[in-house]
Parts: sequence; structure tokens; C-alpha cells
Amino acid sequence: MATKSIKGPNSVKGLGAYLPLLRLDRQAAAKALRWSGLGGPRNGRRAVAAFDEDALTVAVEAARIAVRKSGPIAKVVLATTSSPFTERAQAGLLIDALHLPAETRCLDVAGSRRAGVSALLDALLAGDGGDTLIAAGENRPGQAGNALHLAWGDGGAAALVGPGDGARLIGHASLAHDLLDVYASPAHPTPYQSEERFIRDTAVAAVLVPAIGAALEAAAVEAAEIAAAVVHEPVSGCYKAVAAALGLKVPNLAEAVTEAAGDLGTAHVLFALGLALETAKTGDRILLAGFGSGCDALVLEVTGPVAGAGAAAAALAQGLGFADYVRFLSLSGALSLDWGPRSELEQKTSASVLERYGRDFTGFIGGRDAGGNTQFPKTRLPVAPDVEAGPMTDVRLADETGTVVSITADRLNYCPDPPFYFGLIQFPGGARVLMEVTDIAAAPPAVGDALTMRFRVKSADRRRGFRTYFWKAAPVARPQLEA
Amino acid sequence: MATGIRDKVAILGMGCTSFGERWNMGSEELMVEAFTEALADAGIERKDIGAAWLGAALDDVNVGNSALPLAFALRLPPIPVTRVENMCATGTEALRAATYAVASGACDIALALGVEKLKDTGYGGLPLRTKGLANDLWMPYGSAPGSFAQLAGAYARRHGIAAGDLKRAMAHVSWKSHQNGALNPKAHLRKPVAMDTILNAPLIADPLGLFDCCGVSDGAACAIVTTPDIARGLGKTDIVTVKAIQLSASNGWESQHGAWDGSYVRNTREASRRAYAEAGLNDPRAQLGLTEVHDCFSITELVTMEDLGLSDEGRAPFDILDGKFDREGELPCQIDGGLKCFGHPVGASGLRMAYEVYSQLLGRAGARQRGTVDFGLTHNLGGAPFNSVAAVSILGRLG
Repeated sequence: MATKSIKGPNSVKGLGAYLPLLRLDRQAAAKALRWSGLGGPRNGRRAVAAFDEDALTVAVEAARIAVRKSGPIAKVVLATTSSPFTERAQAGLLIDALHLPAETRCLDVAGSRRAGVSALLDALLAGDGGDTLIAAGENRPGQAGNALHLAWGDGGAAALVGPGDGARLIGHASLAHDLLDVYASPAHPTPYQSEERFIRDTAVAAVLVPAIGAALEAAAVEAAEIAAAVVHEPVSGCYKAVAAALGLKVPNLAEAVTEAAGDLGTAHVLFALGLALETAKTGDRILLAGFGSGCDALVLEVTGPVAGAGAAAAALAQGLGFADYVRFLSLSGALSLDWGPRSELEQKTSASVLERYGRDFTGFIGGRDAGGNTQFPKTRLPVAPDVEAGPMTDVRLADETGTVVSITADRLNYCPDPPFYFGLIQFPGGARVLMEVTDIAAAPPAVGDALTMRFRVKSADRRRGFRTYFWKAAPVARPQLEA
Repeated sequence: MATGIRDKVAILGMGCTSFGERWNMGSEELMVEAFTEALADAGIERKDIGAAWLGAALDDVNVGNSALPLAFALRLPPIPVTRVENMCATGTEALRAATYAVASGACDIALALGVEKLKDTGYGGLPLRTKGLANDLWMPYGSAPGSFAQLAGAYARRHGIAAGDLKRAMAHVSWKSHQNGALNPKAHLRKPVAMDTILNAPLIADPLGLFDCCGVSDGAACAIVTTPDIARGLGKTDIVTVKAIQLSASNGWESQHGAWDGSYVRNTREASRRAYAEAGLNDPRAQLGLTEVHDCFSITELVTMEDLGLSDEGRAPFDILDGKFDREGELPCQIDGGLKCFGHPVGASGLRMAYEVYSQLLGRAGARQRGTVDFGLTHNLGGAPFNSVAAVSILGRLG
């Protein structure tokens, strides 16, 4: 097995974590399934992507937090096993959504839940001196009745890695092992899982214990010295056995994420790392283990604060619980409802139109005219009266706070999770945009209320399997989840 | 210096189908029905028509593009025919074109016909259209009630009106139209509706309930216009003329830039201001005998009363509740039942409104006749309040 003790220059310097607003009460789902004898976990909640969220959008939201205090970024990596496209790079869209320079190197990684941690390890080991952003997101499809449909969750996490203080890699080990615990394929896009006892016994003995043990050895750290553990379990109970075998004394923070939001796939370990780093002290050693077709085990040493680490705990604490299993089935694509003629609207995207406007729309880039007024979209002639025509300078609206000019809950228009909220949103600088409003938790926003921008799926062309992205307005704060 | 079209064009004849679920008729038959009535009213022959305009808004679910469907349906002689489309102002746009043709001297007699066959689409409400390839990438797909409902919150905020008070005023708008529509044999909905039913109806787009919204319908309406001299030569003695037709379209100011607060419709204000000037009306509240306005939703009619200058700012809800715009009120609005009871076959609505004003001016309105009417106003509002085309026409008797 490849193990290495390392005192590399790179650290985890920033973290981001994002969960969708909605959390399904697993007990309610179990109740709905009781007649069948099928199910999955009975406890906790599962984060459920909104109708306009996918693996990319949740990764973008997490990345926005991770890069909030960053300098230039040399490379971005997008990790997901649930990319909506198999032939269209998502990392490039991530660059546009974050309004990073188009020259930024980018890479999509996939193939296993481990991809997020593998990318993290590569970035920590890289010696080119630049900062790397790793953003992971999942919105994995599931079939009703399959236990993983309730065990998994939708969400994103991101890590910014580069020279400086934060959480530094001090040892690692990797192990490739084609363990058939679960698989998905184009021919079977929902997960097919092997028998749980076989998975647990094999994963513990043949993958996790050897890899984690080797990483600890490479770091020259005793298991009992580990201050926080983040071990991605293929099934519950693995960490308990690993801890017993190796002498780990701390709880597994990855379990807390599984319980409250579900297994987040490629984002899971990065998300739980936020929980570890939020409360970590300088000198603490943190164990990470990414699982999937083998294992990457990392030991980090905390050398300073990590910006954005608090987002993970905050995301777990916030949200809107719901107990409607049929709504969950519909949102997760496990139930195809007939939404009638209004859902039949054809929206075929033109490649040339996307070429002209795509980068501005994905980045929510408006223009500032010669008179200093902002507007969206940019136009040849300014919308502001009495301003001379001329080139506009780019102005990004995605990070601005808007206020409601007018709004309604539209119950006639097709929306996969009605009602459909939309209205006019006013931005600082004068721009005013007709926008969808999303993530309404309780009382809808009123005229004058502040809204924040969220990166979302704008349209899904189901007939051709295409989707476009744009920004939507959402309430600035989310409610705290009730215990 | 433009002199306007006041009294330069007379309406020689009009026709209007009954509106409703015309399952047994296509657009072609509806066009013929409206045209046949207009032709008989005008007392001319088909060969006398020198040019024609077809108003059809939703071409791909209605008649298809171009004006050929009009020429085919009416078997017109080989004259110029043109299709116009300006969303819900389409019918008035057709009338404007025909009127301008006569006023310019380009032809002696012109035809304007609006038609829409919406029930065949199978939609409740207007069918959804894309907004164009680039706009589709960012613009939301709100429904018509969703777009207009936003007037309510902004209006209530601007004028400090409690939501419940506004809801009651909106309900009165719909109640009034149903009272009036019950008297109109050509209306789609001809039953009075109780206030409680309106107030307690399911929400369509907050705060608009089911009865705050007009429905879709099938229908056609037609006008034949000429000069007053030709009308007199054809034996007409009681001549209705076009006093003004004005149009105003958004340029993005409301939805992309302006200080607009969402509580009114700038284009209605602009179009009516110019229409009053063109028609020579300096006191429209006293001079107008009735109005037919674009009551696609109850809140639209309410706000329109202020935009037309017929209520003071912030007073429309109280004028409405006081009965000012009721059939027996000071200035009746939707005396024919409005879009609320006729439904909204988009291309036909503007001409349907003109038909009612024309009928009232000539004293032909039967049970709904409002005594002697000197001037009547029609108003259409296409698109959405934040992105609109407003049309205002004023008709009156010659002299």
C-alpha cells in the first residue's frame, strides 16, 4: 500500500458547505412504506434538493462560501457522481458561476464517492503553489423502496487548498479495492446495493482498517491522539468496528452528517471536515477517510483557522422539515406525476445563443452604462433614460442583495413544487430583474424584503436531456430546524 | 404637427359573435359570423372593402401566421390584408390600422377583425409561450394571473391599504361584471355570482382568487370603417366616429430600470393622456359615458381606474366599493360584463369592447343600455404591468 509521511506546503484554507432547504423526516417515509416491509434508515432527516437544484448548483453554493475570502484561484475541480451531463464539463460551468477567469484550469472528477477526497489529497500534494478549489455536490437519483433512497442526501461541500495555514496534510495512504458494495450505471442509474453485512465486514477488514492504519503510521500519529475523525462509511457500523480495531477514541463526525442530512457522496467528507474544523484547536490532528472503490485516508494537522468551516454546522441546523413522502418521491424523481399541458413547454436551447450569452447569464453579469446605472442583461442601448449608448462594463449581480419590488405565488404556472414564486427584484446600482424566487420556507417575502441570490437550474429540457442554469432570488435567512 | 384622427373615421358597421366554448366552430366560422353581422350593419358588399387587418395574437394555436386565414375565411377580393399582433391589445391594434388607413386616404373602406380560438388549446388560462431563445435562458415563466397579481401587493403598499380592504374591492369588481354579464346574450358567463363565493374562491396567484381572473374563450369581433362623408353617402344618419386611438409600449424602464414601484401601469397613463388630448376630452370623468377596460384580473381594473384618471390616486378601491363604476353608477365600467364574463379570446377582445361602446352610442344595448352616451372608452393592456402594451380608444358620435 502507498503510504507517505509528508510535511507539504499546502493546507485546507477555506471550506464551504451547503444543504438544500428541505429535509425529509425519515420516520414519515418509513411510515409510508410500512405496508411494504421496505425502507431504509428510520431516524433523522434527509436533505432533499429543490426542483431547481442539482449536483452542480449545490456544489456552486458550497464553493461560494469556500472562496469568499480567497485570492486568485489556479484550478477548480468539480467532484460528483451525479452530474446531469456525461458529456459536458461541469467544472467549466462552475468557473462561470463563480465568475472566475476563463483561463482557470478545471477538471471534473467522478466514478466513486471517494472522488472528493481524492481531489483534496491531490491538491494538498500539489507543488505548483497556486490555490485549488475542490467543489463536490450530489443529487443522486434513487428508486422508491431502495434503502439508499432514504440513506443518501443531496448537498454540496467545497475546500480551498493552497499554501498557508489551515489544516495541513501530515500523512496519507491510499488503497484501491474494487469492492462491489454499490454501483450505478447508465443502464441502471439508481443504486444497486449488495448485502449489508458483507459490505460492512469486507469494507472494515479489507479497506478501511488497512488504509487508515497506514495513514496514521505515515503521519506518525497514534490513533488515540486523533482529535476528530471523519470516516465515510459505506453502511452504518463500519466506524465502530474500525475504531475498535485501531484504537480511535473520538466519534465519527461523518455519522452526524448522515443522520441529519444523509450520505452526501463525494461531498460527504468535505462537509463533515467543516464540523471538525469549526471547533478544532491549533495542533489538533484530524483523520479523514474517503471510501469508494477503495479508500484515501488523510491525517491533517490544524495550524490555523479555516474560513467558512462554520457553514457545515449552520447548514445542518437550518432547514425546513417536511413529512410528505409523495412530495419527496416527486422531487427526487422517483415518481413521475402528470403535471398537465403547462409542463409540456418546449425549451430547446440554441448552442449559438448559449455561446453569446451563456457566460454572462451563468455568472449573472450585468452591465454598467456610461451614467453609472447597472442593468441586466447588458444591451447595446442602455435602459436608463437619457444615457448615451456605449460599451458597458461588467457588473456581477450574483453577490448582491436584492429587494422585492413585486411578488406573487403563482398557482397556475407549472412548477414541480408549487406554487411558483416570481417577481421584480431591485439591485443596488439600479438594475432591476424579473426573477424566480425560490426556497420559500414559511411566509413568502413581501414588498421591500431583502433577498439573496442562488445559482439554480433555470430550465430542464426533458425531451433532450438538457438543462440551463441561472440565478434565483431566495430569502436571506433560513429557519432553524426544530429538534 | 400631428392633428390626430378625431372624427376623420366613422364606424360603418360592427359585428360580434357570442363568446364562449364554441366547440362546434373553428376560427374560420367565428370570423364569418362576426363579419356577416358587420357587413349587414354597414350596408355594403364585400367587394367594397379596400383593405383588411386581422388581429390574432396566438397564431400557432389560432389561425396560423399571416393574414391569409382572414382572406380565405371571408373570401375577400384580392386587396391588401395584414395580420397584426400586439398581445392583448391586438384587437385594438387591428382597429387602429384600419382606421389609420382610412384617415390617410389610402382606402375608402377598411376592415378590422379580431379572432381567437383558445378553448381548443386545452389550457385553463392562456397557453404558455416561450419568450425567445435568449430570454428563455433567464426570464421566468410566470402566468398571466401571476404577472398581474403583483400589482396588488405593490398597490396596497404604496397606498397603505389593508389586504382585506383591497380584496373586498377586487371582489366588487368581479361581482359587478357578473351582474352585468347576466344581461348580455353574447357573454360567455351569464350568471350573477355571490360576493362570498368570490371572496372564498381558491387562490390562483396570491392574492387573486378564481373569480378575480377572467377565463379563456372563443370569439371574434369585426369593424368596418370609412370616412364620415362616405358613411353619410351610404345613408347613415347617426354616425359613430373614432375620436382617438393611442398606444404606449414599455421599453424596459419598468422591468429593468425604473423608479416604478409596481403599483400602476405607466403605459395606460401615457396612452390615455394622449387619447384624451386627441379626442379633445378635457374632463373625461364627466364626459365619458362608459368604459370598457382590460379587466383580465380584478386588480387590473381597479388600478386602471386610476391610470385612466377616473379615480384619484389611492381612491379606486373606495370608488369601486361605493358603486361608482356599477351599471347604475356614475361612470359604468364593463357594462357588457367585461373580460370577466366574455372571457378573453385575445385577438378579439379590443374589438369586442369597441362593439359594446358602438352599441351603447347607437342606443342598441337593450337591457344594458345606459341612457344617452356621448363618449365611450376602451382600454387594452397586453403583456404584464411591468412589460406592457396599453391601448386606449375613444369613440363618440359625430359632431
